[in-house]
Amino acid sequence: MKKFDYLKPTSLDEVFSLMEKFGSNAKLIAGGTDVMVLLKRKRIFPDVLISLRSVPNMAYIKDEKDKIRIGSMTTHRELETSTVIKEKLTALYDAVINLGSVQIRNVATIGGNIANAAPSADTACPLLVLDASCLLISSKGEREVELKDFFIAPGETVMKQDEILKEFIIPKPSKLSGSAYWKLSRRKAMDLPILGVAISLAMNEDKSIKKARIGLGVAAPTPIRAFKAEEFLTGKFLTDEVLAEAGNIASKEASPRDSIRGEAWYRREMIRVLTKRVATISFKRANIV
Amino acid sequence: MVDFVGKDILRVDAFDKALGSILYGPDQNIEGALWLLAKRSPYPHARILSIDTSQAETIDGVVRIFTAADIPGENSFGIIPVTKDQTLLAKDKVRYIGDAVALVAAYDLKSAKEAVDKIKVNYEELPAIYDPEESLKKGRILIHEKGNLLCSSRIIKGDIEKGFSNADIIIEREYRTSRLEHLSLEPEGGIGYFEDGRIVIIASTQNPHYDRDDVARLLGLSPDKVRVIQCGTGGGFGGKLDISVQGFIGLAVYHLKRAVRMVYSREESFLTTAKRHPLIMRYKTGAKKDGKLTAVKVDIIGDTGAYASYGLAVIMRATVHATGPYEVENVYVDGKMAYTNLPWCGAMRGFGVPQIAFAHESQMDILAHELNIDPIDIRLINAFKKGSVTATGQRLDHSVGIKESLYKIKEIRDKYSWSKKKGERLGTYIGVGVGSMWYGIGNTGVPNPSTAQVELLPDGSAILYTGAAEIGQGSDTILLQIASQRLGIAIDRIKLVRGDTLYTTNAGATSASRQTYISGNAVMDSIDHLEDILKAEASEQMDLPSSELIVKDGKIFSIKDSSKSIDIFELVKICNKNKVRVIGEGRFDPPTIKLDPETGQGVPYATYAFASQVSRVEVDTFTGFIKVLNSASAHDVGKAINPKMVKGQITSGVAMGIGMALMEEFVPNKTKSLKDYYIPTSMDMPEIIPIIVEDKEPTGPFGAKGVGEPALIPTAPAIINGIYDAVGVRITHLPANLERVIGELLKKEGA
Repeated sequence: MKKFDYLKPTSLDEVFSLMEKFGSNAKLIAGGTDVMVLLKRKRIFPDVLISLRSVPNMAYIKDEKDKIRIGSMTTHRELETSTVIKEKLTALYDAVINLGSVQIRNVATIGGNIANAAPSADTACPLLVLDASCLLISSKGEREVELKDFFIAPGETVMKQDEILKEFIIPKPSKLSGSAYWKLSRRKAMDLPILGVAISLAMNEDKSIKKARIGLGVAAPTPIRAFKAEEFLTGKFLTDEVLAEAGNIASKEASPRDSIRGEAWYRREMIRVLTKRVATISFKRANIV
Repeated sequence: MVDFVGKDILRVDAFDKALGSILYGPDQNIEGALWLLAKRSPYPHARILSIDTSQAETIDGVVRIFTAADIPGENSFGIIPVTKDQTLLAKDKVRYIGDAVALVAAYDLKSAKEAVDKIKVNYEELPAIYDPEESLKKGRILIHEKGNLLCSSRIIKGDIEKGFSNADIIIEREYRTSRLEHLSLEPEGGIGYFEDGRIVIIASTQNPHYDRDDVARLLGLSPDKVRVIQCGTGGGFGGKLDISVQGFIGLAVYHLKRAVRMVYSREESFLTTAKRHPLIMRYKTGAKKDGKLTAVKVDIIGDTGAYASYGLAVIMRATVHATGPYEVENVYVDGKMAYTNLPWCGAMRGFGVPQIAFAHESQMDILAHELNIDPIDIRLINAFKKGSVTATGQRLDHSVGIKESLYKIKEIRDKYSWSKKKGERLGTYIGVGVGSMWYGIGNTGVPNPSTAQVELLPDGSAILYTGAAEIGQGSDTILLQIASQRLGIAIDRIKLVRGDTLYTTNAGATSASRQTYISGNAVMDSIDHLEDILKAEASEQMDLPSSELIVKDGKIFSIKDSSKSIDIFELVKICNKNKVRVIGEGRFDPPTIKLDPETGQGVPYATYAFASQVSRVEVDTFTGFIKVLNSASAHDVGKAINPKMVKGQITSGVAMGIGMALMEEFVPNKTKSLKDYYIPTSMDMPEIIPIIVEDKEPTGPFGAKGVGEPALIPTAPAIINGIYDAVGVRITHLPANLERVIGELLKKEGA
């Protein structure tokens, strides 16, 4: 592992000035569960690590009138133990309780999980289907980017070199809506998903689908939305045939590959299976009587 | 009266392990020790044209670079004396990706790494072979000069054709298993230095005396010029039976006469240490309508990878155990082990029996379903009993607890009404599977003695000397319990000297589930000898013939007049005063008869462990995910010296077996580390009910046999048979991972 300096600024202004000073020789570190692995595996060679840990007011879950705001430094464990997340953002809850292990969840942050931009990031699919936006800030100001427009390629996002990911802004799910996430993996802890599927459904009173969101992880170079399948579902009633077709469409939208973790044909098949399963769970959670 | 055998004594190393005060191989360090790092082959098969170390030698911090030319003795090692075919540093050829070609000694690891990168090796690539059947075809390129067949093994009993013609039903299937990684808690590591004219090596190992002998052979030294000390070993599972860092450390100390240190990274451990042999097993099983087996014919082809290691032992053990624990009149088993240019395979918990049990237990399950017989009943119909004759012609006269183990798991299954049904979630089904096994204790048909010494001290304490490596399985505690019980001295009054070739004698490897039975007996024998010594001394002191003396409760009594006695420690004081140490020397070699090379007839083992397991599994037919819900395993261990530790072994075997059954697969040249090799976590564990069956073995210490490897063996078959019970698909290739289960389900749906 290369030698590096470890800096621990205590304000955002200090973070920005350090980022400006070191430029591309610096790497931001939050919980460190991804960055330290990248360092040890010699995938990155920063001169300086800038830790966000001592910057105040970066870890929070704010339950506002029509939005939920999650600070980027919020750990998975904090999300897991929050009743707001458990009750209102159920897909995200499904994701955080199955990530790594408690030890990892104690340090790994939601901002790090997204900014690392791995196709397998567990929280990406739920945030995608919950219509989350990312608040990016720099010394010059701030901007909001919808998560669906955030990822560019594995490890690459729209964030500029002087920006940091400050928070996620999630519209509060409407009544008659439900969301869920299914992590398919070989074992029940300490594992990345072979495939992750998140779905949120907002229903009409007549049990037809008002709005559907489908997020797929490890199904393409970045976490993706299955827009065509979403469109297909809109206005329809959840029958076996409709779900099967939605699964087929979603499966075609994906471009999974063969890897040591899983085979492409299996992933494609499982998109069909899990679209149906996760949609059914989301529908149940919408609590339409 | 002390009573230590059969009691849940706390492990003697429990506190030190819990406190983290035991130093394992990678923890070993000496101030100023040089780091060693090996340069390894990037090709699976290539001729070495030249090695240029000149550039690497100029790097600051590099002390010396060794190649094959620096090896003073025989540049070949291997645990089985007749198949030492592995080079410490490759001379002419490399045979797998990872073969060591040079060794760097440097002041720090960074310089060593730099030097490894700068060593230039000029190779001529050769065609490589990855398939064992391909490897055995005529005209293929040779991996070793003597040919690509490492060895073969055959068992012939009765008339196989007659057996099939008498059968009402014949089941033919092919089974395959995968390469597996042992994944000990800590990777290989250790230190070495020069002291008193000797090379001293402290390393994690399962076999200090073998290490000493093979390192001495590599260096052209007599074994007494090498001293191996076993340090804390957090796990072996067979992976630390071969030498790893020991040979390199020995070579560096030989030349440099200074302290060195070598630790494998997890990646290096994955790449360059032994794996479990993948076996292809073709079974043909004949039975009568009532379930009685008439014939078993098996063809086994194993892939030993680039080197022999324990390949010979694995194929012999697989053939000997191929019938399973059942009476079969007509048997024909043919086993072959082939070289390939893949990572080499060696010993791994069970030596081929976990693989073969998966096959024979799948066959039994198919028969049960075809003949509509309860899977436990069909095993009871065929199971060995006292007086049964095995496929090698051995009559089992004692300690045959297989039926008892089946009754025990039947009780559990019926008590909790474990049976096939739908699961709670849509698309999930629950099924129940059974697996049985037998396992010969000790090495197959060859002498494999253990020795031990017990010394009495005048202060009323004792010392037990044993070469038996403690690798987490608990032999330290078990041997002390045996010594304590037999001596009548409290366990905390016996000091243990273990695994140091300077102070202890050869106990053989901690493998083949042999230490309780064989080293336990050596301890018993040493105390017999000790008593003879004491009686001889007492005979002089008491002026009575030895034959009229008995040892009881720490005293020696006259048989005729119990008022005449002398305390044994009084005798020790007298002896010590005369400069005589009171040490009993013990030895035990299990009585075996070498197998006939043509027919495999003989007595491969003095005794066998038996076990049966029932596992309840849930299959998600949509994703292929298997969840093991409950498991009950009944093991005939002869006598549980420490029941709690036996239960610990059984539980660990189920845990490891779940990995083998469902997720573990080392894909050569793809699997690099823990990031792509899956072992189950605590979250994947079912409820485990360990059951001890004690059908005492008259030749065992207090009736004990062994449990270390048996614990693992019935797990994979029970799970695989459970999957069939749940959803009607039979997985014939381990592991039953998500893709294989879904693949089979889709095939069934299509049919």
